[in-house]
Amino acid sequence: MTTTVPAVTTPSGRRAPSRPGPRAWAALVGAEARMVARDTAGLVMPFGMPVLILVMYGVSDATTIAVPGSGGRTAFDVFVIPVVLAIVVGIIGVINMPSFLAYYRRSGVLKRLSVTPASPAMVLVAQVVVSLAQTAGGVALALVVATVAFDARLPASPGVALGVLALASAAMYAVGMLVAAVAPTPNAALALGLVAFFAFGATGGMFGAVSNLPEPVARVGELLPFGAAVQALGDAWAGQPVETAHLVALCGAVVVGAVGAARWFRWT
Amino acid sequence: MDAVDARNLTKRYRRRGGSTTAVDDVSLVAVEGEILGVLGPNGAGKTTTVEMVAGVRRPDHGSVRVLGLDPFTDRAAVRQVLGVQLQSGFLHGALTVRELAHLYRTFYGAGRDPDELVATLGLEEQRDVRYERLSGGQQQRVAIVLALVGDPRVVILDELTTGLDPQARRQVWGVVEDLRDGGATVLLVSHLMEEVERLCDRVTLLESGRVVAHDTPAGLVAAAGLGQRVRFRVARPLPPALLDRVAGVEEVAVRGEQVVVTGRGDLLQEVSTALVRAGVVATETRLERATLDDAFLALTGRPLTDDPSAGPRATTAPTEEAA
Repeated sequence: MTTTVPAVTTPSGRRAPSRPGPRAWAALVGAEARMVARDTAGLVMPFGMPVLILVMYGVSDATTIAVPGSGGRTAFDVFVIPVVLAIVVGIIGVINMPSFLAYYRRSGVLKRLSVTPASPAMVLVAQVVVSLAQTAGGVALALVVATVAFDARLPASPGVALGVLALASAAMYAVGMLVAAVAPTPNAALALGLVAFFAFGATGGMFGAVSNLPEPVARVGELLPFGAAVQALGDAWAGQPVETAHLVALCGAVVVGAVGAARWFRWT
Repeated sequence: MDAVDARNLTKRYRRRGGSTTAVDDVSLVAVEGEILGVLGPNGAGKTTTVEMVAGVRRPDHGSVRVLGLDPFTDRAAVRQVLGVQLQSGFLHGALTVRELAHLYRTFYGAGRDPDELVATLGLEEQRDVRYERLSGGQQQRVAIVLALVGDPRVVILDELTTGLDPQARRQVWGVVEDLRDGGATVLLVSHLMEEVERLCDRVTLLESGRVVAHDTPAGLVAAAGLGQRVRFRVARPLPPALLDRVAGVEEVAVRGEQVVVTGRGDLLQEVSTALVRAGVVATETRLERATLDDAFLALTGRPLTDDPSAGPRATTAPTEEAA
């Protein structure tokens, strides 16, 4: 076995800080941002699809059906916008981010970084930071389109909506990290991410009202990250109290994803 | 203190039905300021060995010190002073050469000017090209830029000129020589003889995961006990036994006009003198020395490379009249 280390002498000559500082963090976040911004195909889904859905429902009668007990809000406000926001968060967290991480691992980027003072973990953090910014951009775009083009109203409880959105993001990122951890190849990561996203979405109201789903499927879907996020956001928009079960479900996804990712993530 | 001190490294890989020993009790020692070559055929364990030195792979047995630091326990300190170019590393594909060089520069406390280094490696024209759009040789040069941008005191270069054309190869060799002139220690993995003979102060020869020999390039050739050959043409037949008693001559083969003298010592000088004394006009005189390739073959019984173009080859003295 490796012999024990004697007292370490710092190499003479120059005395440099041995860990990368704020400049390195900023440069890495900038690098990840460029990677994401130059991946044109990856931008279509989180920015294009939500707008498309908004337009589809915006020209339907969803904007005229008033939902009782929501302060005069319409079905568009209370059902469609939450679904759209969940799509933005879900695509970025469950599909895009794991694809990047799996690609970095597969191509040797993480290994290359592991022989520099920057640790591969810095890339993970930088990727999450960029994903957050991307999510904020996607959410902002969706809200602007909804309010400007279709007279949508903002949530009755904005603070709660923001909190739920943050929790939903954490849940989706955690699931994404789990996907990145267990997927052996970039292709597998993309496939797993898509399957997870559409499974969550289909059972959580992405393709129409949850009331059209079989009762047991709807019950399960409501406790998966997408469904829980849609329900909790809907409540926040309508100004209704958010159900504890939905918040617990989102927290559960965070824990399961994070613990699983920490357990199975491989750097090389 | 040795710049690189790796002792008794052993690495086994588990395979179905048992395990393979990729590296078996290999020690590498490089003193400060030297270029140590790690030479061997494909599958000899060169890359596994240097990856253990770089702290990428954990040895099953043995210890590694880089400038007195353990790459596994003193990771942060080692990373600041050790530059690594690995064979398998890919980079952020959508970033340009400049962006990559500047990004990696921020990881280090002290370092070199990224733009200058990009120019030194001949990548000025490609500096705004995305990494994924570069040719293999250009990507290889970017990898060298990133290994050097932190101004390391110890550098590991694994097959650094793979995929480079001859001109780029010589340019990179110049960069490595500048590193040594600047006092850095270089661990150079290669299977190219010309590269090793030109750059390395000492060489560790690996074969099948074991160290076969460790010496200077000239020392390895000498240890292999290979002589040298002098080859020339004569217009008229050589007087019999003329060269038999010349110092250092071991064998004389005459085929028509062509004469090949095998021996050792200052063979070219001795043979030339004898010919001039006897009034024999010799033309196209060439001295052929044994190369590291020949030495490797003699030491291991296998050729270093399967590639015929890089096979045994003569270092040819300029063809001229021996006077």
